[in-house]
Order: sequence, then C-alpha cells, then structure tokens
Amino acid sequence: MELLSSYTFLIVAIGTTILSFAAGVIGTVSVIKGQSLIGDAIGHATFPGVILAFMLIGVTDTLPLTIGAIIFGVIAFFFIQLITNHSKVTLDGALALILSSFFGFGMALKSYVQGNPGFSNTQGIDDYIFGQAAYMLRLDVWLIIIASVASLLLFLIFYQQIRIYTFDPVYSSTIGINPALVNVLVLSMTILLIAVGLKAVGAILIVNLLIAPGVIGLLWSNRFNIVLLIAGLSGAVSAFIGTYISTAYAGFATGPSIILVMSIIVFISMMFGRRGIITRKFNLRGDAT
Amino acid sequence: MIEVLIVLIVASLATSILGVFLVLRNQAMTTDAISHTILLGIVLAFFITQDIRSPLLIIGAALVGVLTVYLIQLINQTDLIKNDASIGIVFTALFALAVILISRYADHVHLDIDVVIAGEVLFAPLNRIEVFGFSIPRALWQLGILLIVNVAFVALFYKELKVSSFDPKFAYVIGFSTTLIYYMLMTLVSITAVAAFDAVGAILVINFFVAPVLTAYLIVKRLDHMIYLTALFAVLNSTLGYLIGYNLDLSMSGATASVAFIIFTIVFLFKPDGYIVLKIKKRRQRKEFMHAMILMLMNEDEHETVTPGEISRHFSLTEPETKKQLETLEVEGYVTRADDRYRLTVRGEEFTHYSRIKYGLKAH
Repeated sequence: MELLSSYTFLIVAIGTTILSFAAGVIGTVSVIKGQSLIGDAIGHATFPGVILAFMLIGVTDTLPLTIGAIIFGVIAFFFIQLITNHSKVTLDGALALILSSFFGFGMALKSYVQGNPGFSNTQGIDDYIFGQAAYMLRLDVWLIIIASVASLLLFLIFYQQIRIYTFDPVYSSTIGINPALVNVLVLSMTILLIAVGLKAVGAILIVNLLIAPGVIGLLWSNRFNIVLLIAGLSGAVSAFIGTYISTAYAGFATGPSIILVMSIIVFISMMFGRRGIITRKFNLRGDAT
Repeated sequence: MIEVLIVLIVASLATSILGVFLVLRNQAMTTDAISHTILLGIVLAFFITQDIRSPLLIIGAALVGVLTVYLIQLINQTDLIKNDASIGIVFTALFALAVILISRYADHVHLDIDVVIAGEVLFAPLNRIEVFGFSIPRALWQLGILLIVNVAFVALFYKELKVSSFDPKFAYVIGFSTTLIYYMLMTLVSITAVAAFDAVGAILVINFFVAPVLTAYLIVKRLDHMIYLTALFAVLNSTLGYLIGYNLDLSMSGATASVAFIIFTIVFLFKPDGYIVLKIKKRRQRKEFMHAMILMLMNEDEHETVTPGEISRHFSLTEPETKKQLETLEVEGYVTRADDRYRLTVRGEEFTHYSRIKYGLKAH
C-alpha cells in the first residue's frame, strides 16, 4: 500500500493510465474499420524519427525526440496512403513493407550513431524500442496528458462526424462529411498518442494499447458510445494494474505488464462477453429447451 | 567478408520465395506477428535446454511461430474479432510474455533482445560448423538447406499454392485442403524466419519476406514471372545493402531494409504505369482536352473571334492559364491573333473537325 503513494509510481501510473484511456478510445475507430495494424506500422516507423532527432539535437530530451517520432509517423502514414491508393499492393502488404523498412532505416541510423564517437549518451535511445517507463520524467507525463486531453477533446468535438464515418463512409460524404479528412484526423490523433507513448510502452508493443481496449469494448456492447467508454476504462484499468505489478515485482517491465493484464481481460471478454464463447453456449442450451 | 554477403543473399532467397504466397494471400502482417513471437519460443526452449546454442531453440521457436498462426486462426473462427485486430492482440501478448520471462528469469544469460530484434549478420561467420570437411558458417548451412526445402516445396505444390492463393473456393471444389497447404506454408515460414532472424534480426526478416515480392508484384502479372523477379530483387537488395552497410559501417540488416524500400519506391514511381507516368499522362490529357474545347468554342459562329477574357470566363480558367493555352495554340498554328482577338486558322478548323469525331460529337 505504501507503494501507491510513492512518487515514481504515481508519475508512471498517471502517465500510462491517461495514455491508455485515450489510446483505447481513439484506437476503437481503427479496430472497427479493420485498419488497426496501421498503428503497428506507424509505431515501428517512428523509430528512425527518434534517432534522427537525436542526431540533430545531440541529447535524448523527450520533446525533440517526440517531434521526430511524429514527423516520421506522418511520413509513414503518407507512404501507406500513397502505395495503397495508387497501386495494386494491399494495405496488408504496404504495412509490412513500411514497418520493416522504416524500422530497418532506424537500425542503420542507430548503428551509425553508436559507432560514431561524435555522439555520446546514446543509452536513452533503446528506451524508445521497448519502453522504459521507470525512467519517465515529469515532462514525459505532461506530454502524455497534453496529447491525450487534446486528442480526446478533438474526438468529442467531431464525435458525430467520426461516428458516421466509422459506420457509413458513403452516407457521410452525402451529408457533407469528407471521409478522407476524418480518416486523417483519426490517424493524426493515433500518431500523436503513439509518439508520446513510445517512452512508456515502446515502439513494438504500443499497438496493443490501440487495439485491445477496442476489442474488449466490442465484445461487451454494440453501441458506439458504450464501446468507447468500455475501451477507455479497460485501457486505463489495465495500465494502472500493469504499472502496479511492474513497480511491485522485479523483472516486470511496465509496457509488457500492462499488455499482459490487457490480454487477460481480452481473454475473459472473449469467453464471457455479450457474444462470448461460453455465453453463446449457454444461450444455445437455453433456446433448445 | 564475402561470407556475410552470401548469408544475406541465401537468407533473402529462402524467405522471399515463400513471401510471394504470403503477399498474394494477404498474410504479410502474419509474418510480422511470427517474427516477433518466435522470441517466446526461443525463451521457452532455452528454459528447457539451458543452452543458447541448442538446435532445440530453433524447433521451439518454429513451434511458437505455428502456434501464433493457429491462435490467430482460432480467434478468427470465433467471428468475435476482425483478422487484423486478432493479429495485433496475439503477437503483442506473446511478445510481452517473452520480454517479461527474459527480464525476470534469464537476465544473466546472453539473450539480448536488442540483438534478436536488430540482428547482426556480421557475426554470422563467427559461428561455424564442419560440413563434409569444409568449415562454413552455421547460418549459411541452415539457410542453404531451407532454401532447397522451400524451393522444393514451391515446385512440388506449385499448382496447389497457386489455386489456393487465387481461388480458394475452386481449390475446395476440386478437393484438396487449403488449410493443409496453408499450415505447411506457415510452418516453413516459421522455420525459415527463425533460421534467418538468427542471422539478420526479426525486423529484417519481415522485410526479406515482403519487400522483393512487393516490388516484383508492381511490375508483373504472371505468378511464375513474379517468382523469378522476386529472386532478382532479393539478390539486388541484399548486394546493395551489403555494399552500403560495409562501406559506411552501418548495420547490414538496416541498410538492406532501407535499400529495399528505396528500390520499391523507385519502381513504384517510375514503372511504365507508375505514379509519376500516370500523373504526367493525366496532365497531358487535360491540356489536350482544354485545347480541343477552346478550338471548338471558336468554331461556333457567334464566337468566331474571341478575347482571352471571354475564354477565361467561359471555361472559368485563370488569366495566366488562358494565356498559356492560347500561346501554345498560336505557336502550333491553330489560331491567329489580331490585336487582342483570336480567330481560327484553316489548320485549327481541321483540328476541330477531328476533335468532334474523337469525342463523338455531331459534325459542325
């Protein structure tokens, strides 16, 4: 119990909880639209941005590295759109290509930085691949809070447009909502959350925060606003429990712990959710008698 | 050093030949999932054997690779979650488990996640084995065998792979199991991914599986052509990546992945029906159409002579645009200018005649 009031724990827990709530809400849109792995590709693709920002600035400060991550997230998104819109390559192929190429480019840059005596203090860079929540500073948490609140506000302001775009893009364009614009809006929020969340969860696993809460929400309800609420809450709860476990026990990294808690909730939801496997079995028996 | 290049080329050939069918089946991101989750297999097998160089590690990793595919399929079959979301959930869960197992129970051994993810083909020649009296890198031996196995698999089951990739329903009707072919393919993908990522790292494995294939896919339509061209791009990417990595002292894996993307982008932009060519064509067409419209307008009796202002109002063009159009028309001899008014030449009148036929309009 003492742990709950410790400063380090509070800093990390506040950051991860707020981040997971926002990521859960906004990620739900991509989950419903069947483009949730874009988050995975963008998460990996931010890596060279982090290294390039480090090469330009020379320090591992959060702000410039986050901006670098955002820029490369946008570039990756632009390439994904370009390739899928102007060739027969499918989203699946484009994502795998962008993900591996950008991450590989980051690896090449990293090997250059580490082999070059002109750069010092390169240790902080690895934190962005796997996440190192324990080293999160006040500034990191502030960035997460600002990005999350901004994304959630935008989401609330454009809630009607996003809702219509999510379920009926054809209808949305007949009533004057540009689906391409809403798509860009949703993905900008996604990129922003990925960039600020890198240090907490890491480039590889961050996609889970965007997918799993939405999946949990969809397993329990089919009303959009309820799904979003469940998604946000399950993300926040998992983040809090995961952070607690990682602080209390040695060897539990924060990002992976959060994701394991989330995965357990997904599993429970798949069994007992509204359309869950066990729920369906019971209903069938009930119908038969 | 030449051994490093050979390892890269053999790895890229062994992976990309399977990649052809992954791309055609829209399973590229499943490979991404496999390349992450095999880490869990390596960790679990390591707990059993306590030996980081044991061949059991490869078997364990391949098993977890197949397990990943199976789990994704299982979740898909429940119809609860969309395919892409189930990929994202399964691989992150297994990868997170692996990271925690390593940091909690295997921190003292050399199981560096960073090396697993990034890979370093430069170290491949250091780990050697004796084969028929020759000392060759272990990675080359493993990947060489897998290359032969994969080529044999594709050659033997070519028809089945083709039909089940393009027309799974037909495959079902003529009576062979697409599921069986799928699992055979994914088993080989897992084994090859494990062997390759030991040498080049998990991320480059994904790139090897898809980048040469997608580049070839942009250019050709026939499956057999696609396979040959994929092999060509695989060799090209690895050779250039090796040269750049070697000369600039960069990570070979990273350099190869970057080169692969640059080559894809070049082909994407500049191939005969690529992005740039289409853009240019579209622009030219628009310009030609505008010319024809202007000339046809001037062919009407009430517009025998027109000022630039009238034209820009009529077609709602900007002043400079109108000026440019008229200048081109004048240079090409379709119109003549007197003061500020333009009128058609004989040549221009002939042109409108043909334009009417071209656009299917009534003769004037």
